[in-house]
Amino acid sequence: MNKYHRRTVLRGLLGGAAVGVALPVLDLFLNDSGKAFAATGRRIPVRFGSWIWGCGHIPEKWIPEGTGTDFTLPPDLEPLAPYRDQLAIFSGFDVRLDGVPNKPHVTGCLGLRTGIPVPNDRVEAPTLDVLIGDEIGKGTRFSSIEVSTSGIQRSYSYRAAGSPNPSETSPLALYKRIFGAGFQDPNAAGFTPDSRTMVHKSVLSAVTEDRKQLMRSVGAEDRRRLDEYFTSIRQLENQLALQLEPPAPVENFTIPDPPPDLVLDSEMEHVMETHKLMAGLLARALQCNQTRVVNVLFSDTTSNLRRRGSTTTHHTLTHEEPVNPELGYQEQVGWFATQSMLAWRDFLDALAEIPEGDGTLLDNCLILAHSDCSIAKAHAVEGIPTMVAGGAGGRIRTGFHMAGKADPISRIGLTVQQAMGLQVESWGTRSMETRRNIPELLA
Amino acid sequence: MNKGLAALVVLVACQLLPGSDPVAANTPQAAAPAAGSPGAGSPAAGSPAAAQPVMRRLTEAQYRATVADIFDPGIPVVGRFERALRSDGLIAVGTSESGLSPFSVEQYDASARGIAAAVLSEAWRDQLLPCQPAVANRFDEDCATRIVEHFGRLLFRRPLSDSETGRFLDAARNTQQRLGDFYSGLEFALVGMMISPDFLLRIERVEPDPAKPGHYRLDAWSRATRLSYFITGSTPDDELLRAAGAGELDTEQGLAHQVERLMASPRFANAVRVFFDDMLQFELFDDLAKDPVIYPSYNSAVAEDAREQTLLTITDHLLTRNGDYRDLFTTRSAPLTRSLGVVYRMPVATRNGWAMSEFSERSGRAGIQSQVGFLALHSHPGRSSPTLRGKAIREVFLCQHVPDPPVDVDFTGINDDSNAARPTARDRLEAHRTQPACKACHTLMDPLGLTLERFDGVGGFRTRENGAIIDVSGSLDGREFEAAPGLGQALHDHPETPRCLVSKLYRSAVGRKTVAAEKPFIEQLNQIFADNGYRLPGLMQTIAVSEAFYAASPPSTDEGEETVAAAREAQGDPS
Amino acid sequence: MDGQAGFVVSNFEYALAEDAEVNGACPDGMTEGYTNQGDVFVGAPDLQRKEGENEQDYVRRLFQSAFSDSGIENLCQNPELGSPNPTFRTVSAEVPVDGIDLDGRASVANGETPAGSCAHDDFPGMNGETGIDNQFYRVVGCNKSFQSTGQSNIFDIVMLTGAWGILITLDGVDDIVNDESVEVGFYANADPIQLSPAREPLPFATYAMTQDPRYRATTSGRIRNGILTTDPVDVRFHWVVNSMRLDRPLERAVARLAISEDGTLDGYLAGYTKVEDLYNFKFGFRNATDGTGQLAPVRLRAGSSIGAAFVLGHTCEGAYYALYEHADADPDPETGRCTSISTQYRLTAIPAFVVDEETSSVNEELDAAGNRRDPY
Repeated sequence: MNKYHRRTVLRGLLGGAAVGVALPVLDLFLNDSGKAFAATGRRIPVRFGSWIWGCGHIPEKWIPEGTGTDFTLPPDLEPLAPYRDQLAIFSGFDVRLDGVPNKPHVTGCLGLRTGIPVPNDRVEAPTLDVLIGDEIGKGTRFSSIEVSTSGIQRSYSYRAAGSPNPSETSPLALYKRIFGAGFQDPNAAGFTPDSRTMVHKSVLSAVTEDRKQLMRSVGAEDRRRLDEYFTSIRQLENQLALQLEPPAPVENFTIPDPPPDLVLDSEMEHVMETHKLMAGLLARALQCNQTRVVNVLFSDTTSNLRRRGSTTTHHTLTHEEPVNPELGYQEQVGWFATQSMLAWRDFLDALAEIPEGDGTLLDNCLILAHSDCSIAKAHAVEGIPTMVAGGAGGRIRTGFHMAGKADPISRIGLTVQQAMGLQVESWGTRSMETRRNIPELLA
Repeated sequence: MNKGLAALVVLVACQLLPGSDPVAANTPQAAAPAAGSPGAGSPAAGSPAAAQPVMRRLTEAQYRATVADIFDPGIPVVGRFERALRSDGLIAVGTSESGLSPFSVEQYDASARGIAAAVLSEAWRDQLLPCQPAVANRFDEDCATRIVEHFGRLLFRRPLSDSETGRFLDAARNTQQRLGDFYSGLEFALVGMMISPDFLLRIERVEPDPAKPGHYRLDAWSRATRLSYFITGSTPDDELLRAAGAGELDTEQGLAHQVERLMASPRFANAVRVFFDDMLQFELFDDLAKDPVIYPSYNSAVAEDAREQTLLTITDHLLTRNGDYRDLFTTRSAPLTRSLGVVYRMPVATRNGWAMSEFSERSGRAGIQSQVGFLALHSHPGRSSPTLRGKAIREVFLCQHVPDPPVDVDFTGINDDSNAARPTARDRLEAHRTQPACKACHTLMDPLGLTLERFDGVGGFRTRENGAIIDVSGSLDGREFEAAPGLGQALHDHPETPRCLVSKLYRSAVGRKTVAAEKPFIEQLNQIFADNGYRLPGLMQTIAVSEAFYAASPPSTDEGEETVAAAREAQGDPS
Repeated sequence: MDGQAGFVVSNFEYALAEDAEVNGACPDGMTEGYTNQGDVFVGAPDLQRKEGENEQDYVRRLFQSAFSDSGIENLCQNPELGSPNPTFRTVSAEVPVDGIDLDGRASVANGETPAGSCAHDDFPGMNGETGIDNQFYRVVGCNKSFQSTGQSNIFDIVMLTGAWGILITLDGVDDIVNDESVEVGFYANADPIQLSPAREPLPFATYAMTQDPRYRATTSGRIRNGILTTDPVDVRFHWVVNSMRLDRPLERAVARLAISEDGTLDGYLAGYTKVEDLYNFKFGFRNATDGTGQLAPVRLRAGSSIGAAFVLGHTCEGAYYALYEHADADPDPETGRCTSISTQYRLTAIPAFVVDEETSSVNEELDAAGNRRDPY
């Protein structure tokens, strides 16, 4: 769709409201947000996901050489080469304990997701996915959808302590929940404009009433500055006007087929298959606006993953397996770490497979992937491997590796929330409290 | 242009501006209005015109303080603030130049909605509203009017006009009709006020001066606002607005009473802090980075505490002790936290917060220019920088502008600090002293910065660099000395030091460069500052009660002026 | 030095020997742990794994029955219910061992046994010294978790999270190289250790010594040629496992520390640990408390000790009896069995400011929330 066409569409949408809007203003608007419009002329929503894998990483195989955009993908991230430009890789960011006893595999994971390390399961809810859902997920059918792909009923999404948002563990159950009874074709969905948005918009109009009088009362230079202010107000009105339009019909959407019945356990091959199916279903759910937030637990933080023919789990290996003196790390543990990153690529594949607007669904998502610790054998919560993938509808920049140098990991959570439009300036407590976002990540 | 000529140009260009008093004689705003132009004041022929009023955006610090004062410190401010514009060495001056981008308005809108929602929430409404509606589901016009007028006056720093009151009442009424709730109605009326230009911008207005026919002055509300942000860093309180409305600011006595009252409030110290935070360019701490291998002791806690340490030193010395401003450069006062203790290698008994301590003679430290807040800020990530430090001393403390380096300089010899033949920064900076292209400007900076070389890139003490003893001799404008205490004494004794403070303080208060008409007043202030032993509170009081502080000529609003301004701009004339 | 100096311990580990694979300390092989989860439990026959039962379900069943049925005990909490376990292998070879000579004599098992000791062989030192008293190494030297690739001797990682720490002070120092009389203090650190972004302990940080007298000890010492040696003193430090609080006592502890030019201390802290104490903090966690000073839940204590046995590859009763078998001090007046075992630590300490005053906790908010109230 060319620029001229878009402009026509927008004018059509705004209708009478566009009176008095100078064309240059519209230009600005379209240049900023043009990518976020589908062929239908409606705004494509931004979505959020979190993706957790357990038991950390092998630093030698995971931490990229070099920082900034000039980095080399290490062996465990090599499979993600197709997404190199859509990934921001964070190493060396810490959950700061401040003397809080480290409950292995829990304190780190929840600390990262709440900004508050706790010595037990009494999470200082809500977790950031819930905060984000409250911002971007209004009006969708599910406030969020959680899945766990290794057969374990576990979730690290909490609105309040003691009431985690439960995970679906079966692809079939997940399918029925989303596309079974109660599912409506998005293209036929009814629409009621939000009355608070209407009120908000009319208040902005009131603000501009004294414009002329005010302009007359100031000097020439200040008059120009006031003009900029009124243009910015008008821009805000335009945004609200768009929100008062009916939701976007969904392009390229077809209801997926029901998934086959699978063996649901923690054997790696099965988990990879379960995960792939669930990722596909979640992608479809996001595409047709059933939810804006998904939380995936690929493997639990005390990872119960195991290889066929072995009774020892990933987690147990982290404590039992001696370091291979030649490699310098635990070899079998390393295998699980490698597999986890292959699964992560599968998840991104599922999102990138769905075309949306000028790009793909992934372009309009922000997925935060993280583990619960860095080096599992020491339960170290310093340097928990973390990644952000996607484009968030143009709100984030990716394609870099950043070394946190022991900065609090809450910087990532803070930035992700800000990218998702939350008006939060400070997040976390004690040494995890930060008001420093990560400017490199924000567009 | 050949090399020799280029060097000559640099030499010529590298004259320091005389410093303390950058006068904006040629700006359109300061120009005398064209004779006979409508609305222009016509001062006595030959005397320069007072400055025109300014329109200043609230800074982040002012916005936060204002919201806390009008509502409650517990009301959250959720919007983000972009990096402030620094102009003429001060963010405070940048406020009269910075615009309002779509981003900033979006953020102000978010803040307004968050604040309004909180104020009208069940948790706060009983405490904060001047009245409660008879029933919440019917529009209570009387109460709504009271609420609009109450908050309107505080937010706009003046009473609302009837049409303004009517407009926000309409917003409340219409919203209630739609949403069915009195408080929602007032919530959106409040959003409207807080996104208004009259709140976000301090728009100064003038009126004819009844005492001096043909002259103008700021109107009472503008005067109250200028005074309040100068003395308290925040919005005029109810009492100040009352006094303004009652005409009390027009009398010497009335004004003096208000100034005294405001200076006695705890917000006075806040205003001083905010001013020095601006003067010392401390917002640069937000993205200051140090190499963790070279400076393992540096982290975000050190950065935060270093900034606070200097501000604490300043407020303790200038306000608590009512000390001589010049002694800030010689004081051994050392407020410390545990994090800072690691850098200073000093014990800090308390685990939480601050402990007052003294730098010993042996520490090599004296003055705020030897604190981490100066040393780390004006260094590179992996090494110290005599040049950056020298430049900052000129610009921050002496109000002298040092030109940027020529673009074609070869830095490799200087930056390679593993160069065995040049173990110390002084050795590596030799080129600065010998190459003509460098010499002119670096003579102004390096001899100052080299005296601080016993402090590394974070501010840790050292006596050797790469094994060689560090020579910390240097000079400032002809005076020779050694090390940080010597530099501090030289700054203490430098005639520009107090003049620079007067200039920056005044420019910060008025939000612009000084104009020619203010020159005598500034000279007077310099004299008064000297006479009272360089005490800051006395200086601020003098400014606050002076007539000159509130003088103004009307803005040039006619098209002719605008055209001239536009033409200047088109020619790239930055004046 | 103004006659005073403070230090914070930046490294703390058991003084051991080279890996068994290198020094040949374990010709009969390495210590073996339990082969079956059920082996830990005593008192009920149906505790063996059922046909087709997966590991997860089995363990859950074991724990449920073990903690619900008072008739079932486990060997990690009650090692005395078991018997010496021959698969718990100890070092019998005469291999060079790290540490110092505690009693000033090179003991041999079949030689004269002085009062207050039990028959044992001392080890030769790593540098040809004789009479190294390090029976703890004898007990654990064949355990795989105590080899350099294992998990048991990196416990000071927890120290770096701030969970516990050790301070050392020197007072009355006239000459840092040679001084016949100095006062030496050992204290639990009441503050978390301060680290660089690379997680290295920072020199010149300030720490408060604990106010709890049980974790404060002072003794006299002397510096000769830059080596500080102290007179014996009972010391006690904190230690944390799986969020449980434990004590690490060391009786008649002697420090021998080299003082380097940059103010770093490096050397040994060696003494005797009561077998029951050592079993508690290293193997059984029987007396572990939570943050409020209450005995930690039995599930946590037992679960952790059983888990540790499986993960680290030992049997609890094996460790317990081996410790008694090789104990070399404090014979029981009635049975003659020694009840304490020589134990040696290697430590490094870096300069710090050590203050002795009560100062409010950085964790006050946590305390108020009831999450943690430390006894120190």
